[in-house]
Amino acid sequence: MRSRNKKIYRILIITSFIGVITLLLFGISQVLSYLNTGADRASMLHLPLVQEEVYLPKVIWKDTINPGRPIEDQTLKNIQKDYLNAWYVRQIAYQNYDASGIKDYYTESAQLPIFQNIEVNKEKEISIHSTTTNHNISVDFYSADGQLVVLTDKGVKEHQHVYQGEKLIFQTEFTSDYQTLLLLEDGFWRIRHIIKEANASNETVSTPLGIAKVVGDKIYVADQEYQVKGINYYPQKTPWAMYGDGFDIEVISQDFDILKKAGLNTVRIFIPYEDFGKARVQNTKLEKLQHLLDKANEKGLKVIATLFDFYGDYSVLDWTLTHRHAEQIVTTFKNHKAILAWDIKNEPNLDFESRGEENVLAWLKEMIIQIRKFDPNHLITIGWSDIKSAILLENNVDIVSFHYYMEIDDFEEHYLSLKSRCTKPIVLQEFGLSSNQGFWAPFGVSEKKQAKYHQQFQEIFRGRDIHFLSWTLYDFEEVPGEVVGSLPWRKHKQKHFGFIDSQGNKKPAFEFMTYH
Amino acid sequence: MDQKQKYNKLLLPIVLIFSVGFCALISRPKEISATLLTTQKTFLAGNEIALDFKLNMPAQTQLFLHTSLGATSITSENGRFIVPEFISRKKGHVDFQLYHNSERIFQGKINIKARNKGIKEIETYIGPTSIIAGGKDFTMHIVIPTDAYDNPLPDSTTVQLKHQFLENEKEKTLYSKDMIGWSAVYSYAKSGRMLLSSKVDQTTSKEHSIDIFPSLPEKFEITSQREHPYADGNQITTFTTSILKDEYGNSISDGTLVTFLIKDEKGLILRANGSTIHGIATGKILHPDHQSTWEIQAFVPGVAESNTIRLAYTSVLNNFKVAFTNNYRKITVGPILSFMEQLIPNGAIVKLKIFQNHAVHETKVKTSLDGMVIFELEEGFYASGTYDFEIETMGVEKTYTNIKLQ
Repeated sequence: MRSRNKKIYRILIITSFIGVITLLLFGISQVLSYLNTGADRASMLHLPLVQEEVYLPKVIWKDTINPGRPIEDQTLKNIQKDYLNAWYVRQIAYQNYDASGIKDYYTESAQLPIFQNIEVNKEKEISIHSTTTNHNISVDFYSADGQLVVLTDKGVKEHQHVYQGEKLIFQTEFTSDYQTLLLLEDGFWRIRHIIKEANASNETVSTPLGIAKVVGDKIYVADQEYQVKGINYYPQKTPWAMYGDGFDIEVISQDFDILKKAGLNTVRIFIPYEDFGKARVQNTKLEKLQHLLDKANEKGLKVIATLFDFYGDYSVLDWTLTHRHAEQIVTTFKNHKAILAWDIKNEPNLDFESRGEENVLAWLKEMIIQIRKFDPNHLITIGWSDIKSAILLENNVDIVSFHYYMEIDDFEEHYLSLKSRCTKPIVLQEFGLSSNQGFWAPFGVSEKKQAKYHQQFQEIFRGRDIHFLSWTLYDFEEVPGEVVGSLPWRKHKQKHFGFIDSQGNKKPAFEFMTYH
Repeated sequence: MDQKQKYNKLLLPIVLIFSVGFCALISRPKEISATLLTTQKTFLAGNEIALDFKLNMPAQTQLFLHTSLGATSITSENGRFIVPEFISRKKGHVDFQLYHNSERIFQGKINIKARNKGIKEIETYIGPTSIIAGGKDFTMHIVIPTDAYDNPLPDSTTVQLKHQFLENEKEKTLYSKDMIGWSAVYSYAKSGRMLLSSKVDQTTSKEHSIDIFPSLPEKFEITSQREHPYADGNQITTFTTSILKDEYGNSISDGTLVTFLIKDEKGLILRANGSTIHGIATGKILHPDHQSTWEIQAFVPGVAESNTIRLAYTSVLNNFKVAFTNNYRKITVGPILSFMEQLIPNGAIVKLKIFQNHAVHETKVKTSLDGMVIFELEEGFYASGTYDFEIETMGVEKTYTNIKLQ
């Protein structure tokens, strides 16, 4: 009994000793780490603050000749920066009732009506999400001492989504002209007066070269009727990461040969938004895309380029950044003969729930307008994920595209019902079956079954002249988590949609990539 | 039974009538439409703005107003909307859209104009606030006339700009454009202060002033003053400019830097600086300590230059005494006598150059005290042997060769 007590005491003493030591060490380390905290050493260098780009509407300086004095390029840059910031902080203020930026970009007397307006909106819980997409600025007057400038900003296109509480009550857009007087105060060009005027500008639309066009429900390329027989393409080794270090034009060239030989005439590729550099598109990526398009042209393949892959914000304040992204890509290739169509976004209807249908549709609508402005030569489509959504924005696109992964036997019925409601050409932009029989899907589809599926589809296409693009050329070894999530059976399924297996052997379905 | 059938017969038409009635009620078009009763399109800032809509059925509607500085939405049950003051007070176009259940049923725009009576204040910007005399340089006098609600007055508002300078009082009437009325005010030939003011309608501005500074200086003259012509390295020579003036006769601004460049006969350049007060700059420099001839010219660098003057300095002595003692290890120079045979003022530099085998071994420099300088050559430093000495002061040099130190 005594020895047991002794043991208990011993254990108690030892554990309490360890406990005290642990606490002590922890305490000392806390004190030391507290003493080591302080200003970041890099702050000694006074590095300039990197301002994140949040608002990049299209700004064109129309005319800077004014009776006051010639204006310097640097001053123009400063004015542009502060003027756009003035718009941006106002948009933030009306969206979040956060007026903190207003004081920097509006003089005291100009702030007053803004504050009053926001106060009222806050009371009524009216929140206005807005942005402007273009500014065409000319200088009316610039004073001799460089302290005062009068600008006219024509054709300012403003988009507004008006919310009452959490509920979107309506969307609207205005195009107006503004005359603005700015003063240079404390190093900021601040708005002293801004007066809205009736819009007197008319946008000039450049006449299209017509590399591709749509007449009725037919697609024409170089004035020849065009039947899309295509495939969604990723190189086997680098699916969903096509433009990285693994980019190899030789591999792509060989793949294009395979496709051409198989009788296809179109490929659909994807241009990831972030990978390409968001609002500042990287030249290296554009070069790679250029190589790919040149190669497609050389091999006689047309390309449907899907923009904004993996993009998912859609908020009004983010619009201008996506416009700049599209502008840089689309204007670069606006005369490229290989491109058939710009696909604005892959399966945007999947974002309806999380981002709000109105937001997604408004973004798409404006993006179509923007892209048409940058490139009137190519067609525009949206890759809807189901046949139900396909009819959305029919009037805005040139080609109606949808994806079909449902029962093959119902396809014709669905297709005909869509066709009866739709006047534009219809493209089945994705379809396919994964031959995923294996460990993760013991009762999955065999390669033979996959072949049969494609054979059946091709029969339908032949009978009805349906434009099609299948999914996809290769079975992939790796599928990134962002595509289908991280569940292994889902990934497994996505790996086996190809016509050629991961060893490079043609699967039975290869024969039925198209009809002849 | 008959009775019942009769009722049924009666009932049938009644039911029919009712059902048709209901049908009519249900199928009655739910389309709501609105017309704008207010015909006025242009309003004066600050006046109450009411927009009246006639709806084809009573309903709650929302009016979205989009203005120069923002947007808001107001709700009405009866189709009458009073535009809030913060909007009706501000000049500019106002777009409005009428909504019913998120559906736009009417849109239009009104224009709010600035009031032209009761101008609150005249905002004036004048710059640059200092200009140069002569009529080439100018300042801009910019006026932003605003109404009581801080709206800029419309283009072609009459603006009077006035300025006064010395005996000149001028007035100019012009019409505003792009929110401002402005004029370039050129300087006059004289320097001084100009006062400016402006007037719009009956409202006058404050008094504003700018400075007109003299223009760039023209060619000028310099003179020199010195106590004696001797190169004693002790007295100071002063150079003085004439009054520096610009081409219009204004003496140039105080503090203008003048540089006096002095070149001796060997081409060495010395320099003295002075800044102007009332147009005059002075530069001071120590006399040379040996016979020399100076050429002096003054500059306002990059702008103006003076004439060149010459000054000759004569030597204060022809000879001086040197005594060797202590086996030539102690060299006593002096007494050094100046031009009146007075002891040279303390601080005269005496240089002793020691040569061995025709190479300089050391140069010793000392300053005089009571006309005397003593050099000592310690044994530890100067081993016994043959040396040459060269002693120089006030531009006079003496040489001693083959001196044997022991």
